[in-house]
Formats: sequence, structure tokens, C-alpha cells
Amino acid sequence: MENFPIYMTFTPILAAMIIYLGPNKYITYLTFIAQGILSILVGVYAIKFNFLKTPQIIFLGGWSREIGITLRMDTLSILFIVLTVFIWWMIIIYSWNRRKEDFKFLFFLLVLEGAFIAFLQSDDIFNIFVLLELITILSTILIIYKKDGYSVRAGLYYLIFNSVGMIFFLLGLILLYSLSGTLNMEVISRRISMFENTALVRLSYIFIIASLGVKSAFFPVYTWLPRAHGAAPASISALLSGLLVKSGLYAFIRINQMYDIQILQNFFFILGVCTAISGAIIALSQNDIKQILAFSTISQIGIILVGLSSFKEGLYIGGIAHIFNHAIFKSLLFLGAGAILNRYGTRRVTEIRGVFKESPLLSIFMIIGILSITGAPLFNGYISKTIIKYGITNKVLGSTFMNIMNILTIMYFMKFSQIFFGESIVNTIRDIGNTLALGILALVSMALGIYMKGILEVSAGIDLSYIYIFSIKSLIEYLLSILIGYIIYKKIVEKDINIMKRIRHFNLSFEIANIMLVAFIFIMILWVRFPTS
Amino acid sequence: MRLDILLSFVVVLIGIYGLTISKNIISSIISLNITQAAVVLLFLSVGAIEGGEAPILGGFTPSIVDPIPQALMITAIVIGASITAMSLMLTIKLFHYYGTLSWKEIIEREG
Repeated sequence: MENFPIYMTFTPILAAMIIYLGPNKYITYLTFIAQGILSILVGVYAIKFNFLKTPQIIFLGGWSREIGITLRMDTLSILFIVLTVFIWWMIIIYSWNRRKEDFKFLFFLLVLEGAFIAFLQSDDIFNIFVLLELITILSTILIIYKKDGYSVRAGLYYLIFNSVGMIFFLLGLILLYSLSGTLNMEVISRRISMFENTALVRLSYIFIIASLGVKSAFFPVYTWLPRAHGAAPASISALLSGLLVKSGLYAFIRINQMYDIQILQNFFFILGVCTAISGAIIALSQNDIKQILAFSTISQIGIILVGLSSFKEGLYIGGIAHIFNHAIFKSLLFLGAGAILNRYGTRRVTEIRGVFKESPLLSIFMIIGILSITGAPLFNGYISKTIIKYGITNKVLGSTFMNIMNILTIMYFMKFSQIFFGESIVNTIRDIGNTLALGILALVSMALGIYMKGILEVSAGIDLSYIYIFSIKSLIEYLLSILIGYIIYKKIVEKDINIMKRIRHFNLSFEIANIMLVAFIFIMILWVRFPTS
Repeated sequence: MRLDILLSFVVVLIGIYGLTISKNIISSIISLNITQAAVVLLFLSVGAIEGGEAPILGGFTPSIVDPIPQALMITAIVIGASITAMSLMLTIKLFHYYGTLSWKEIIEREG
């Protein structure tokens, strides 16, 4: 029972190896067996240890904490693992019909799952580095899976830019090791309080945060994300946007727990606001449906970062809840967009018409996704967005920011949802796996919308009595923001004015992205030296 | 400040400078490689002791070099090599598709 976390990592990797070594029509069904075993392992482990209220430490090889490698399971990591297994189920069900004999695809997909689960458990800062690099390489292979020029370009940009980011992680790690003499995060966090205010600790913190900023697409350094997420196959885009981009945010949470120095809180708040608003504005200018969704991911990451920046109860729980909600509705939207692209063969919003007539069920699921992401009451996005809205200390600032974000989100999804209207010209393709995966995701979105409040109140122990799911007031507020969004959309966005075209064709070359990264680090250093608050 | 640490840090800065000016994919990959090698060198010199012995079991002398950085850097070198190999492979593919190695031209090309 104690060793279950190790089996969780190796079950999918072992299955992947068997599939790769014996490529055969039936052996690919091993995927489902491995997933089933993994689900049982995770379920039994989570229930046995009561969702890890007391963290479990697993010592590998029997070495002590200072020199060996340990795994750590706590509530956050077990929740992320449950989410991982769930999203992987959905991806496999969705793509099964097309990929069931594609053993190479299944190999990389399953190894990536094992690596991601190992990453969620690791309690060792060098392990985090290695596994982040492994995740980067594996997801590059999956991004370029179609092997056309567009995706190879995106994959190369993603790989090199993320590697540049990870160099800074290594630099921070060196500084930290030379100070504390160990790599175990728990031991470091105990020793770090002894020299909390030295310049070297702060410098290592800034380097590590900068590299994680690249990984999780913060404001100036997110240029890799829309390319990579737009170019990948549909199922992989859903995986990248829903889950893998959160690897940076998960490491961000862990690193902040380890350092426990709150010198950049206000900076993170401003960074989150910038990320959210710039992502939403660029999303508004796009015409490609996958690009709209990719930039929407950036803007949602900004909202999550605003939530995480506080590191104290209410707002922080809102940020973590939004990570989970975003994973569910963004995978739903990307998978649905992939199904639509398969039928229409074009990615332009202006050319796809009549999706609702052609496949009503798919459209209903996607509309549920859109309602969730725009924060309609009764759907899951509403809960986390409301917690963040009321959790921001400055009430006026908080409600203004969240209302602006809601209107922007509604506006770019208005652009997105024009694909549902009109007459369709293509033949329907029926795919049971597609519909099933989308249906489950939509159902989970709605169920979480109703039950999440109760779950959060019990598990996190915070007071959420200010959220009324069934109230008329929140419904009116939502309808009002739809109205405002509609007016602005009709008056300004639909005319496709010059500045929109300018934003759409704005591209950052690779060396400019690197300059941005260096500038990002310098801004953080200046911020720490001259605190503004 | 010891000289070896200082010098390897200078090489790190040279690599980062190379990344911020290179307009060509190959030179970006070379700069990335220089930076990675310099970081490895930096970590090794942090763990090193002047006149220290190799950390091999058996001999017990009071001044042995810290073995952990060396063990870690083997892994970092492997990761760096695999990333270089993979990005060179992708560069070859990209050259077949676009016929150029300039970042600017490749990124601005539609489709």
C-alpha cells in the first residue's frame, strides 16, 4: 500500500513499452487495462489515506532525506493525479477510433502520463527539473505528430524556448544547493528560514520563478503557447492546454511553499492582470478557432495567477479550483473544436457555418463549455471566478477586473460561436468516442457547477456562503455582461478595424522572446530591490 | 569569489547574450548548448574543492569533492544532448519545408 505511488508512475510506462515492443492489433487495448489499473490504484490510495490529510513520504532506496530521493503525496498532489487520470481517460476515449492501431502515438501518450504523475509526486527539486524537461521533450514529439511544416515550426520554437527557460531553473538550483547543501524540498524549506533575507536566496527564487513563468506562459514570455497549442493534433491540444501547461503552475505552487518568502506577491498580482487582459485582447483579434482557444488559455492562466498570488486561504483556493475547472472546460472546447475541424477541413471562424444544424449534440456540449468558461451561474467556471472576484482584497479593483475579464471572454466567445449558426454544407461524421468524451466532460462541468461549492466548503474549510448558485441576481449580472459584450462586439470587433489586424499579424521572433525573458528577470530583480508597497 | 566560478558565470552570460542576438536557428541552438555547458561547469566548480580528492569509496581523506553536483550534472548533460539532437532533427525537417533557417522568415510565413 505504501508503494502505490511508485506503481502509479510505472503502470502506464510499462504498458507503453509492451505496446511499443509488440505492435499488434489487439495489444493496443492494453491502454485501457493500464488506465483501469491506474484508476484503481489512485482510488484505493486516495480513500485509504483519506485524501492524504497527513502527507505521506516515500523514501526510494532507503536513503535518508538529505541525500536520497523522496516522493511526497499530499492533498494537492492526489487531486492533481485524479485530474490527470481523468483527462487521460477522456483523451484516449476521444481519439481511440483514429489512433487504435497507432502504437507510436499511444506509446508517447502513456509515457507522458507516467512522467506527469511522477512530476506531481516529486519532492526533490532536481527531480522536478528532470521531469519538466522530460515532459517538454515528450510533448514536443506529440506536437509535431502531424509532421507538417506548421507543427514542426511550433514544436521547435516550443522545445528551444522552454529549454532556455529551464536553464534558469538550473541556475537557481545551483544557488540553492550551494546555500543549503541538499536538494530535498522539505529540508530546504526548513533550512531556508535561517538565511531568509540574503540576496542569493532571493536571486535563486527569481531565477526559478522566471523559468516557471516560461513553462506556464506568464505575460511577456508566452509566445510559444499559441503556436504549440494551435499546431498540435486536437487531442494533444486539449492535453497541453488543459493539463500540461499547469505543470508550470503546480511547480510554481510547490516552489512558493518551499521558499515561503513573500516578496513578489504584488508583482504576481499585476503580472496576472497583464496576462489575463493581453491574452483576452489577442484572442479577440484571432480568426483561427484553435488560436482563439489557445489565447483564451493564456488569459485564464492570468486569472489563475491572480488567485494564486495571494498565498492565503480564500483567493488561493479560488485559484486552485480554477486550475481544475479550466482543465475540464478547456479540454472540452479543444476536443469539440478538433471534431469540428475534422469535418470542415478549415480553421477559420468565418468559414465554418451551421455546426448546430449538422451535429446538435456536439454543439450543445460545446455551448456548455462556453457557458462554463464565461462564468455562467450553474456551471463550474462561475464558482472559481466568484471566489477570486470576492477574494481580492481591494473590492473595487477585484470586481472591476473580473467584470472586464468576463466581458472580454464573452466577446471572444461570441466570435467563436458564430460557427454554430447558418446552414451546413458538410456530411456528418459519427464517432461514438468523440461524443462520449465530450458528453462526460460536459456532464462533469455541470456537476461541478452545482456541487463544487459544497465540496470546497467541506474539504478546504473556507466560508463560501456569499456564493448563491441559484440566485436571480447573479443571473441578471451574467445576462447584463452578455448584453454589454454583444454591443461592444457589434460596434467594434465585428468591423475588424485596423488595430485588430495589426494585433493578429504581430509576431515575435525568437531572439525577441529571449530578450523578453531577460527583461522579465531584470524587472523581478528591480522589484525586489525597490519594493513599491 | 573564486576564479573558476567567476569564469563559468561569464560563459553563462555569453551564452545568454548569444541567445538574445541570434537570428538563425543553428546559432540559437549553439548558444543554447554553450549556456547549458557553462551551467554544468558552474555547478561543478561550486562543488569543487581545491586539491580535493575524487569522491570514490575506499579512500578516506578529509577533503573530498562534493559528489552530488557531479552526479546531477551527468543527468543535465544527457538532457542537454537529447534536446540538442532533437532540435537539430527538427531544424533539418524545417529546412526541407521552408528552405531557410532564419527565425524571422519562418515565423512570418503563413501556414
